[in-house]
Amino acid sequence: MQIINIQKIGGNVINALRDLKGCYSLFCYFIRNLLVLRIAPIRSVLYRQIYFTGIEALSKIAIIGTLIGIVIITQVANIVGLNAVLTGRILIWTVVRELGPLFAAIIVIARSGTAIASELGSMKVNREVDSLRIMGIDPIDYLIVPRIVGITVSVFILTFYFQIMAIAGGLAFTSVFIDIPFFQHLKGIFSALSLFEVVVSLLKSLVFGLLISTVSCHQGFTVQSSITEIPQAATRAVMQSLFLVFIFDGMITVISFT
Amino acid sequence: MIRLENITTRYFSSVSFEIKGGSVCKIITKSDDEKTILLNTILGIRRPISGRVFLLGKDIYSIPEKEYIKVLKRIGVVLEYGGIISNLKVWENVILSVWYHMGKRPGDVEERVIEIFKEMGMDPSYLKELMGRLPGPLPVYEKRLIGLVRAMLTEPDLMVYDSIFEGLNPEMLEGLIKLTEKFHLEKPGRTSIYISSNALSMDSIKADQILRLSN
Repeated sequence: MQIINIQKIGGNVINALRDLKGCYSLFCYFIRNLLVLRIAPIRSVLYRQIYFTGIEALSKIAIIGTLIGIVIITQVANIVGLNAVLTGRILIWTVVRELGPLFAAIIVIARSGTAIASELGSMKVNREVDSLRIMGIDPIDYLIVPRIVGITVSVFILTFYFQIMAIAGGLAFTSVFIDIPFFQHLKGIFSALSLFEVVVSLLKSLVFGLLISTVSCHQGFTVQSSITEIPQAATRAVMQSLFLVFIFDGMITVISFT
Repeated sequence: MIRLENITTRYFSSVSFEIKGGSVCKIITKSDDEKTILLNTILGIRRPISGRVFLLGKDIYSIPEKEYIKVLKRIGVVLEYGGIISNLKVWENVILSVWYHMGKRPGDVEERVIEIFKEMGMDPSYLKELMGRLPGPLPVYEKRLIGLVRAMLTEPDLMVYDSIFEGLNPEMLEGLIKLTEKFHLEKPGRTSIYISSNALSMDSIKADQILRLSN
């Protein structure tokens, strides 16, 4: 009979709580020190982060968003038939409420969450973080604050972009391949779209961005001196970011739509 | 300038010494680990188990963060591998400190940067190419030069050289020693500290004070 390893479970719980505390402290520091973005070299790190996380992901988001829009429309049309209003509403409900923020977050976790954790981890191993400190530059101000802002802004923009591409892709596909009139479909979409839906969706994207960036930066900074810690930190960054994103997605959805 | 009072760490115990302002000092340690711990302790990066460190007259482990940053701004440190930030291009590395603290832009320091690299015998056309590269694949000597120029641009009162003469050919070694000695004399009262676990590599340095760390 398999005996439950209480010690291991206890260790995992303690580690999870320690990580949560670390992320919380980092987030509080970030809020208190947002004004460091006035310093030009820190702003340059911010712009670079927006470029790598946001701009460089636009093409992938466009492809995935369009395909998701097509898949949803095809499935919905298969179930409800040629009902333009209902098809449009379902597209809005799924893409704007759920899939937009979630997919943008998952793509950012896969591309940038791992990259940030690995980059910061290797900077710690190579004593680059000490080097910044010796120059009188606070490593958290210089490395983490702009990354948190950059990723949050990027997730926000990518979510919006994903939604536009998914809706446009769905509309284009139904107009060409399914016998739903374009304008009728468009009318269905606009009748389902409310400001509340958009606000909740963008609120989700902001929360996801903050979660992903804080967790990834925290995990990168937990690396001490060994190079083998770097991939472990990257894996933890991905898993914890995904876990928190799904938890907060559930919470925001339940609070907003019940 | 620097005073250590009964410093105890994992590697050494009850170490005390004082380095006077305006002097040139060589510190020789028994191992690289010992050197790194001592350097980090002096610079306020790693708190010792016990003892006090006075850097530029300040007890660095008991002053507020803002004051500590002020102290660090007056210090230039050249690390063994340059202390280069790997995701910044060479020119960004060179100006990082003066850009961050003094708001200087590349144009403001270009002349001085070219002058220092020329003194080290670097070809201007290669220098132009070098500035636009990421530092990762560069040889250690060039990384040290980049770290050196970055530190020199801040015109520090205290300059610390961490094993920067190790593994160089005689011409590079001579050029680097001349450059650091000239830099020491450029500002009255400037203190220069050379630290290494390899005493031979610092043999040609003329020092006012030589400290050997031993248990």
